[in-house]
Amino acid sequence: MSTTKEIITSGFWTNNVVFAQLLGMCPLLGVTTTAINGIGMGMASLAVLLGSNVVVSLVRNYIPTEVRIPSYIIIIASFVTIIDLVMNAYLHDLHKVLGLFIPLIVVNCAILGRAEAFASKNSVIQSAIDGIASGLGFTFALFLLGASRELLGAGQIFGIDVFGPSYHPAIGFILPPGAFIALGFILMGIKWLEAKREERKVVPAPIPIPEA
Amino acid sequence: MPDFIKMGLALMVVGLVATSVLAVTESVTREPIAEAKRQEILRALTQVLPQGFDNAPDSDTVLFTDARLNRKLKPVTFYRGRKGGANLGVAYVVIAPDGYSGNIEIMMAVTPGGTVSGIQVVAHAETPGLGDKIVITDWPKSFQGKTIDNIKWGVKKDGGDFDQFAGATITPRAVVKAVKKGLEFFLENEAKIFQPASTEAAK
Repeated sequence: MSTTKEIITSGFWTNNVVFAQLLGMCPLLGVTTTAINGIGMGMASLAVLLGSNVVVSLVRNYIPTEVRIPSYIIIIASFVTIIDLVMNAYLHDLHKVLGLFIPLIVVNCAILGRAEAFASKNSVIQSAIDGIASGLGFTFALFLLGASRELLGAGQIFGIDVFGPSYHPAIGFILPPGAFIALGFILMGIKWLEAKREERKVVPAPIPIPEA
Repeated sequence: MPDFIKMGLALMVVGLVATSVLAVTESVTREPIAEAKRQEILRALTQVLPQGFDNAPDSDTVLFTDARLNRKLKPVTFYRGRKGGANLGVAYVVIAPDGYSGNIEIMMAVTPGGTVSGIQVVAHAETPGLGDKIVITDWPKSFQGKTIDNIKWGVKKDGGDFDQFAGATITPRAVVKAVKKGLEFFLENEAKIFQPASTEAAK
């Protein structure tokens, strides 16, 4: 159906879970007070996405259409619980920070969305690639938001002071309203980038570069 | 085969497989999770108790129930640190119910006679950048060496001796209050708190 490259670009950028589809807002706004939290949450979601996409794709021809959604939910919930337990055991400190948001991955529409829209119609390999690409896209979005909020709200990146002691952090960006404000500006930036790219596409290149 | 049976069977199989996978994961991770939690408590204990205890405070415990420690009357674990059999100090978690946002759980340690040897906030949901200074600054150190008499228990705004933070008075006020209550409980029950566990007493 679609090439590997298309799946990757679509998952990571053009159909990015956050920037294009605006899904998964709850963990996105909830945990992104620091860059490292964003990455942690993103990686946990990536693992669930990859697992659920692969399994959904594996069973796609055996599950009757009428009961596919409950089956997908069971599959996703199982993966979330596995991640929750494994993180609690081996990444205890990060698990403490992300806490409540890990179980909430179950209700992240992005994951059910990928299972229903992609994995239930494509091969296992393609679904795995899609899971990784979408997961990375989500992680990138969480990192971007987390990093901007940490930078503005605490003057730090990964816990390291950037601006020196004279900088007075805008605490508002760490607080919940800051998440909405920062996300708004990031979306504005993304749309601006997209618009620039569209403009460039319209203007034909004066000299076509021959392929090497 | 009628469709509804097929659907039921499919759901049953999915459920069965999911349940067994989860059961296996749970049994594999049970030990590491317990160990991680134990390490977490031990780390906090080493922070607050006086240096040099040579027993395992996390297994030398006793439970007390008192409204000053926990308003909901849940039993509170007292971890007792001893050195060569002598009492070195006891650490326990008190809960400040009146923080700015939710409960603040504070592990505090007291040495025999009633001197606070250290406190550490183990769980809170205070405002980052304001209230969370009770964790990220040296503020908890201001409790070291304090007894019920040698300092006025309260933040400066309330006429006490403990610093508050610019923009955050409620959080330190709640912590000071909770630690004071915990200390009062200790003073009234010191003998009982250090009493060896009943299994040891039976020897």
